[in-house]
Amino acid sequence: MANESDFYQVYEVFSRRGNKAPMQHQFSLLAPNKEMAMMMAQENFMRREEVIDIWVVKQNDIRKMTSEERQGLTKRLDNKQYRTTKGYGYLRQKWKEKEQGMLDEKEIMSWKEVKKK
Amino acid sequence: MYNYVEDGDSKTTAYVESDKEKYEAFMARIEAGEKIEADDWMPDDYRIALIKLISMHGISEIMGALPEKEWVPKAPTLRRKLGIMAKVQDEMGHGQLLLRVAEDLMKPLGKNRESLMKDLLNGDLKFHNVFHMPTKTWADAGMVGWLVDGAAIISQTNMLDASYGPYQRALQRICQEEVFHAQHGESIIMALAEGNEYQRSILQESLNRWWPSLLMFFGPASAETTGSSKQDIMIKYKIRKSNNEELRQAFLSKYMPRVFALGLTVPDETIRYDEKEEKWIYKQPDWEEFKQIIRNKGPRSKERLRLREIAYENNSWVREALATKAVTV
Amino acid sequence: MSQHIETAEQAKQDSTYLEALKELLFQLGDDDLIISFRGSEWLGLAPHIEEDVAYSSITQNTMGHAAMYYNLLDELGVGKADVLAHDRIPKQRRNGTYLEKRNGEGTYLEEPYYDWALAVVRNYLYEVFKKIKLEAIANSSYQPLAFVARKVLMEHPYHLAHWKLWMEQLQSATDESKKRINERVQEAWKEFEDVLELGPLANDMRSKQLIAIGEEEMKERWLEEVKSVLVDVPDSPLEKKYGNGRNGEHTTDLNQALDILSEVYASDKAAIW
Repeated sequence: MANESDFYQVYEVFSRRGNKAPMQHQFSLLAPNKEMAMMMAQENFMRREEVIDIWVVKQNDIRKMTSEERQGLTKRLDNKQYRTTKGYGYLRQKWKEKEQGMLDEKEIMSWKEVKKK
Repeated sequence: MYNYVEDGDSKTTAYVESDKEKYEAFMARIEAGEKIEADDWMPDDYRIALIKLISMHGISEIMGALPEKEWVPKAPTLRRKLGIMAKVQDEMGHGQLLLRVAEDLMKPLGKNRESLMKDLLNGDLKFHNVFHMPTKTWADAGMVGWLVDGAAIISQTNMLDASYGPYQRALQRICQEEVFHAQHGESIIMALAEGNEYQRSILQESLNRWWPSLLMFFGPASAETTGSSKQDIMIKYKIRKSNNEELRQAFLSKYMPRVFALGLTVPDETIRYDEKEEKWIYKQPDWEEFKQIIRNKGPRSKERLRLREIAYENNSWVREALATKAVTV
Repeated sequence: MSQHIETAEQAKQDSTYLEALKELLFQLGDDDLIISFRGSEWLGLAPHIEEDVAYSSITQNTMGHAAMYYNLLDELGVGKADVLAHDRIPKQRRNGTYLEKRNGEGTYLEEPYYDWALAVVRNYLYEVFKKIKLEAIANSSYQPLAFVARKVLMEHPYHLAHWKLWMEQLQSATDESKKRINERVQEAWKEFEDVLELGPLANDMRSKQLIAIGEEEMKERWLEEVKSVLVDVPDSPLEKKYGNGRNGEHTTDLNQALDILSEVYASDKAAIW
């Protein structure tokens, strides 16, 4: 049997501003079920901003890091340049000597359009 | 928009001896500017102070909607009706954000939204002194929007770097909306100040009426004045940066020139800025009255609580009905 | 007269057209104004804080719609939007009577024993009607009105979905909630009919193609849609117990609303607020 406190279920609310934007956590609200949570989410947190999609997730269903995990599992040494472009910056000079440009992020991301035949 | 926390009888100590190491790590984290989250270890007096502060702040937003709301259906034009409605809606929304933060902190104590509403109605949870006051004319709606919100903005922005993460994140959202609130209030006031004689007279009367409440807004300068104040612990734990008097001085510095620029006066002929001491000198409000007000003995305390009580009790069938959906879905 | 009237000046050339258009605009504006006024009284008093915030957005949108219709009337030379909203006596108002009904016992200032079942039933029934009427004027011969209708239809789906969800959930929850909703539905059946009507100039509205459907079709479509959601549909026919608001007949509840709505406005009509 339900009692009044069961009405107050915690839902986390996520939304996306545009097609290129990631889902972003907004805030949490109380609602008795996910349909109600969805119906209230937009006007509670996105009254003044663009929104093209919304997710609501019951807080209990989220496996969050514990306090200890946040302290312990999120730290990394700063020795992983081999994993990023930072470790390969010397190529710029090499290519320059061979009179070629560097295929850096800006260049590669500009390859969206390929010349039509 | 709450700032002043009545101490009550709480004699909470920070930590038990066996937690000394945790306490030191906690202090080191907040000294380093890290943010504390709801499920992190925290000193008892930090948790208690946060619960008190944030639940009072949240419930003050909800109660604060009521005096302004009196003027929502009455606002004089369609544009004013829409503006004040959006503004009061925001206040309810701020209450929502803050109560959610408080509820997560209270979860280990087995409390939720229902407990907060019950605590408000039985008098255990207090709300801000300004919201115990009557609003008599449309000018009061403007005054609440302009100066009461102005004071609230001063006190809230002071906590934007608060050590408690969820509170600080809620405040970011709130302060962004407050920019709209400030301009909404100014817009009502500006129309009255530039209006006809009747409009200017209700504006001046309103400021006279709200003046003591505005001075009281930030709470007493020191604990001696009223026998209680949690301001020191708030600063120690980096929840806010400045003390009550510093905030009041900041408020006077920001707003008095504007008050005078509109041709308004305040009911204190002695008020002046002392260049040498670099501070505003003003007549103290009646702090005895302040104590009465925040004990729900203000001019409109009973009526406002009654509204909240009816809204809550009379609609409980709705929450009971949908609670069954929470169980079945 | 041609089917496309582009401007207020053109509309004024044909007095039959003009009168029917004004009548229709008053119906649209007055309906949205009064129901949003009742919504504004609810602000801060809803059963749940999150719902309070959501409901207020709907109320603001709806009052914004009323302002758009009053602005169209202003363009036709009838008067400024604020004057039309605040300074017309009940006899001049064209809203349906059911929409002016008080939210419950008490007032928003004192002892507000407001009934959430009334809020849910009224708003749901109204938003279904509003959708049908807006769709019927989305291709109105008066282009400025058609344009407004299409804009309003853009944000209307949320309003309808919101109240429909409340109807569905409360109708399938506890015995008490079912009973409360059903009682308000029974009551609405006796009072709602004039909302669905077009008033004395209905024929002109149709013949001038201001609106694409008549009263009978409006009623049919409305019944069809609400029947798909109502668990207990009353057997009795729809009635207009309190008269016909489209003819300027109203209850004292409207006087109460107008007194509050115009209190500050009337304190100094010449002032700029």
